[in-house]
Amino acid sequence: MTRAEADTFKARAGAALADHHLKTAIDRTTRTARQKREAAVAGWPGFSRARDLGARIKDHVIENLDHYLIEFERNARASGAIVHYASSAGDACQIVVRICRDAKARTVTRSKSMLGEEIGLPHALDEAGLGRVETDLAEHIVQLAHDRPSHIIWPALHRTREDIAALFREHHHTPQNSDDIPAMVASARRQLRGGFLAADVGISGANFLIADSGAVCTVTNEGNAELTTTIPRVHIVTAGIEKLVPSLPHAFALLRLLVRSATGADITQYTTFHCGPKRAGDLDGPEAFHIVLVDNGRARMLGQGLAEMLRCLRCGACMNHCVVYNEIGGHAYGGVYPGPMGAVLTPVLDGLETSRDLVHACTLNGRCQEVCPVDIPLPAMLRGWREKSWAQGLEPVTQRSFIGLWAFVVTRPRLYRLGAGLAIKTLRLFARDGWIRALPLASGWTSTRDFPKPARRTFMAQYQAQKRNRGL
Amino acid sequence: MSARDDILAAIRRNLRREPSDASAIRTAAEALALEARESRPSLPGCDLAEAFAQRLVSAKVVGASVSHIGHFSEAPGEVRNYCDAHGLAYEMALQPDPALQQLDWSDFTITASIGADQTLAVAKARWAIAETGTLAFHSGPFSPTLMSFLPLHHICFIERERILAHLEDYAAAEAGATPPRNVNLITGASGTADIEGALVRGAHGPAFLHAVIVDAGEL
Ligand code: SF4
Repeated sequence: MTRAEADTFKARAGAALADHHLKTAIDRTTRTARQKREAAVAGWPGFSRARDLGARIKDHVIENLDHYLIEFERNARASGAIVHYASSAGDACQIVVRICRDAKARTVTRSKSMLGEEIGLPHALDEAGLGRVETDLAEHIVQLAHDRPSHIIWPALHRTREDIAALFREHHHTPQNSDDIPAMVASARRQLRGGFLAADVGISGANFLIADSGAVCTVTNEGNAELTTTIPRVHIVTAGIEKLVPSLPHAFALLRLLVRSATGADITQYTTFHCGPKRAGDLDGPEAFHIVLVDNGRARMLGQGLAEMLRCLRCGACMNHCVVYNEIGGHAYGGVYPGPMGAVLTPVLDGLETSRDLVHACTLNGRCQEVCPVDIPLPAMLRGWREKSWAQGLEPVTQRSFIGLWAFVVTRPRLYRLGAGLAIKTLRLFARDGWIRALPLASGWTSTRDFPKPARRTFMAQYQAQKRNRGL
Repeated sequence: MSARDDILAAIRRNLRREPSDASAIRTAAEALALEARESRPSLPGCDLAEAFAQRLVSAKVVGASVSHIGHFSEAPGEVRNYCDAHGLAYEMALQPDPALQQLDWSDFTITASIGADQTLAVAKARWAIAETGTLAFHSGPFSPTLMSFLPLHHICFIERERILAHLEDYAAAEAGATPPRNVNLITGASGTADIEGALVRGAHGPAFLHAVIVDAGEL
């Protein structure tokens, strides 16, 4: 295979499908995640109302993004923060590197941030010759393995415990004696303590930007964010502008949805609000606090029919429940964000031309939208990209004729529903535990993929029924 | 044009509108915040201290335990009990909070600041939240942030009357006050599920969190 061929989605997905080791690794984490989320949602009677409200809070912010950006900036400045704006990924990295240079920094700790990955910050820090210490356990594993994250919540989910044990034995000063998971975690704790204490600059992301106080909220379970942001002289936040919320109560409403959807817990162990630098009399904290607000395509999304995608809380539920993600893992997507949300975002970030395969890597079963805590219409957005790809003539001839047929059917809604309805009744016959392992006449599909058991009715049929029930 | 102006202009262009009215936006935001109270999780019928304690030791919270004392003066004895139960030496970092500092800690070796490999830190939380089993700390001259993150064991005293019901009640209790550099909402011990989704405690922060509910509060 040439490099270019190896770099196509088909080649990556094909390699991933043949990798049973990878399948085991993915299964171990996403299965637990699905079960825990299910239990957390079942234990919260107000969930569906809260979800509906969460979507409306995010829409309210998106509709008034300019207002909240200015309010946040004003309050952050008043707290002593230095606020920077970056239109592009490259600009954002340049700003961060410049702050590090001005601070004469030698080493930098980083607490996991998907925005940081999106703008290519790890690479930019390395290029600038700064010693980079990733402090999130998974990111630490990814760094040791010279890897890329493959999931937005568990970046090292593609690695089995055996892989990680070997990595730690090779790289840690005093590695674990036994390869059980607690001993490995303890080894990482010992290894990273020194990194925390020596860092000149700490870089974090943001889960929420609180407009009425100028505070930045981070959530972690490990406590690495606080060690990253409190010990060094300088704390830099890089955040996407869509992270704004009006006030603390709005952040709490979204936090309840985010954490349950991500890990099945009700709250993370550490929910921290950072507001300005160290105050007079404070016993610890950074001397300087910088916030880099990053657009990188977000403002453009507002005008591209992708505004709802800016609701995304980065919880990962859509990928945990995605048939395609569970088969091929995150790396095959090729972009920073994998799974359904990644398939929608990657064309924005990398261009449709190079990522058009992604928007087809979807069965449109609707599961991602159902589990999304802010009800993002991911399948409709993927369909939108498919139509755009077709309209721009990016589709090869075979695909174009197939899509022509598909378009014929979907533009005749009754025909589409009839076809989808029939398919569902047939598929349910072969299902066990909600996943279909063998399909007659389609073994080319199911020999390497499990097909999700369809819901009893099509998404549209259920949606119509719900609408009737709610009297809409 | 600066990047700031570019971004604001792009937002307005793509939203296809001029800047909108600030007071209308505020009214809409307040209505959304109020609505959140309708769908939030409900608490058990018992009193808040009991609900908080139940929550803390439930399977929902990692690595936490709870006990009660009648009055702050019993705090040193309670810490001794904890050390004995866990086989720890009587050595600790003590939060410089006046309510704690004035007590008789003569049995203990006390370090003024927290060490990188501190075994035990003892502190007083500012608030607790029953909904989630959370303790809230504000950084300040009497409360360094690292006290909650560097030790292996973290003992936190909380006065009964400072236990709140929901997360929103914390926001309401602090409304109008200037926020500190750090608000740390801490729920249980540090944990990670980064290796195969298996939950392990004591990732970077404390492996043990012990809350002590003080029934009578200040002298
Ligand atoms: S699209 Fe929805 S489910 Fe997926 S990561 Fe974003 S918020 Fe979570």
